[in-house]
Amino acid sequence: MMQLPSGSQDALGLIVNQRLEIFEKFHRTTTIRGFNTISTPVVEYAETFTNPFIGMKLQSMLKWFDEDGEIEVLRPDWTIAIARALANDHSHCKKWAYQGSVFQRDKPGMEYRQVGIEVVDTDPTLGEFECLFLAKQFLKEIQCEPYYIELGHTGFFEQLTLAMQLTDKVSEQLRQAMHDKNKDQVFKIAKQHSNQQHAEELVELINAFGSTEILDRYATHWSNHSELLGIIDHLKTIVKVLQDIGMNQILIDLGRVKNLPYYSGIMFRGFSQTKGTTLFSGGRYDRLYDQYERKRTAVGLAFDVDELVHHIKARSNQKRICLLASIDTLAEAELLLQEYGDCIIDIQFERDEAKTYDLVLQIVKKNGAIEVIHQ
Amino acid sequence: MKLCIALTKGRLEEQCLDYLEQRAFDVTPLIEKGRKLCVETDHFKVFFAKGVDVATYVENGIADLGIVGEDILTEYQPDVFNLIGLPFGICRMALAGIPTEEAPEGKRTIATKYPNIARSFFQEKGESVDLVKLEGSVELAPLLGLADDIVDIVETGTTLRENGLVVKEEFMRFSARCIANRSSLKVKRSLMLPFIEAIDKESEPRHVSSNL
Repeated sequence: MMQLPSGSQDALGLIVNQRLEIFEKFHRTTTIRGFNTISTPVVEYAETFTNPFIGMKLQSMLKWFDEDGEIEVLRPDWTIAIARALANDHSHCKKWAYQGSVFQRDKPGMEYRQVGIEVVDTDPTLGEFECLFLAKQFLKEIQCEPYYIELGHTGFFEQLTLAMQLTDKVSEQLRQAMHDKNKDQVFKIAKQHSNQQHAEELVELINAFGSTEILDRYATHWSNHSELLGIIDHLKTIVKVLQDIGMNQILIDLGRVKNLPYYSGIMFRGFSQTKGTTLFSGGRYDRLYDQYERKRTAVGLAFDVDELVHHIKARSNQKRICLLASIDTLAEAELLLQEYGDCIIDIQFERDEAKTYDLVLQIVKKNGAIEVIHQ
Repeated sequence: MKLCIALTKGRLEEQCLDYLEQRAFDVTPLIEKGRKLCVETDHFKVFFAKGVDVATYVENGIADLGIVGEDILTEYQPDVFNLIGLPFGICRMALAGIPTEEAPEGKRTIATKYPNIARSFFQEKGESVDLVKLEGSVELAPLLGLADDIVDIVETGTTLRENGLVVKEEFMRFSARCIANRSSLKVKRSLMLPFIEAIDKESEPRHVSSNL
């Protein structure tokens, strides 16, 4: 059979090189920032991802039964797999970096390459900054196109719906409507299960997105609500430090809600300024470790490698050299190759006219002596 | 930077253009587009596609905004912002069939263009059925014996009546909706909000006319 299953795809040449470059530079960046590398198996039990603490949908996973009738899946998410791996880890390492694929069958492509970090057991604010600082350093390292950073927080929706005492089912319907910024549905659910005032507050929250000025506006709006003011102050602190290190393209979305039940604080996302596509996303998820009965702080983010390859500059400044050799001068050509460090070098027996080189050198042997001729 | 808007052709197209005109947009370039599927003006790029494709174009960021039937959004669940309901394209989802007192023997076969909606409807009722997915003229299925009943959208009920079918149960109400790409709304906020506010039925119609 020569065909590929729907969603699977081969990749050749430039795109693979760019992926490798991203992996390489991510490893370099995380290493110099003191991260340890972690790897988890690509095959896991479905239960790790579908249990009530996590809530991922089994339908979207690539799965099969093992010989004991347990459902196994191809890793659909890194963060959850790492939490499982670190559940019994009592080392002092707090900063972990990973790279590899995740698999989801309900999206085109099925296999998604990611690089990312998890920061556990650190001061919460410091962990959040570590994620954002790393994002800046890494995206600069790969010469990524300009991007926005968006900040949100799970606390706004949670605080504003606390008094409504919603059942789990209604709470999920309301969360989904907020996630979709579906004004009429939010209003309808909130009014039906609470009152007009709560409904109007939530509808207003849907529109609370834009530049960092939103924070000042809502600090005034919620001046009597100490919990919400506390979250606003926290976001202001983050914004201030990001601006101090030159990250000025910051967006705020106070109406953003969590996608998975274990998110518990700040949420961030990076958008390409040119195409609007998501380059990275992450946030705080201390609750993720509740399932292992461990109280931990945890924050992290993942970069979408398949998206990043479309936003980085290709290595164009490397010189391309062709060394023309014969069977008699092959050894000399190989020794010469090693002198050209960072260049891209082809050793050929004959010049390939279809290829373009900056330099073509012919290595010939005359009367027993080696001669290098510039062509 | 221009705003790219995907509009649904067919059933919703005329109602959509009428509505945009009511909201003080000059839709002449869209009416006079001839057979062109894409029209570009000073501020907008507008194209016409099938409803489900509108959702796909918006989800993938090709279009920033789209106007599409809620039936499509409910059936296909695209990952988009489902911003506001619009006061046209009103219809209901209904179970319909040939009027009969007799309960079918065994499982019913249901023909539909909306298998996900139909599946969840019968799941909630606790009834097992077999679904047959059709692409159009669903009313034919019970008449020709392919299915016992159908699940389909009903606007006026005329097609059902003329084919001797009756509504047995209505269970959802839909309208056209304005959807947005999740990133575009953040990145192009200042471009998109004036358009969204202008077409929001809760807002006052604008007085300034602009070309679409």
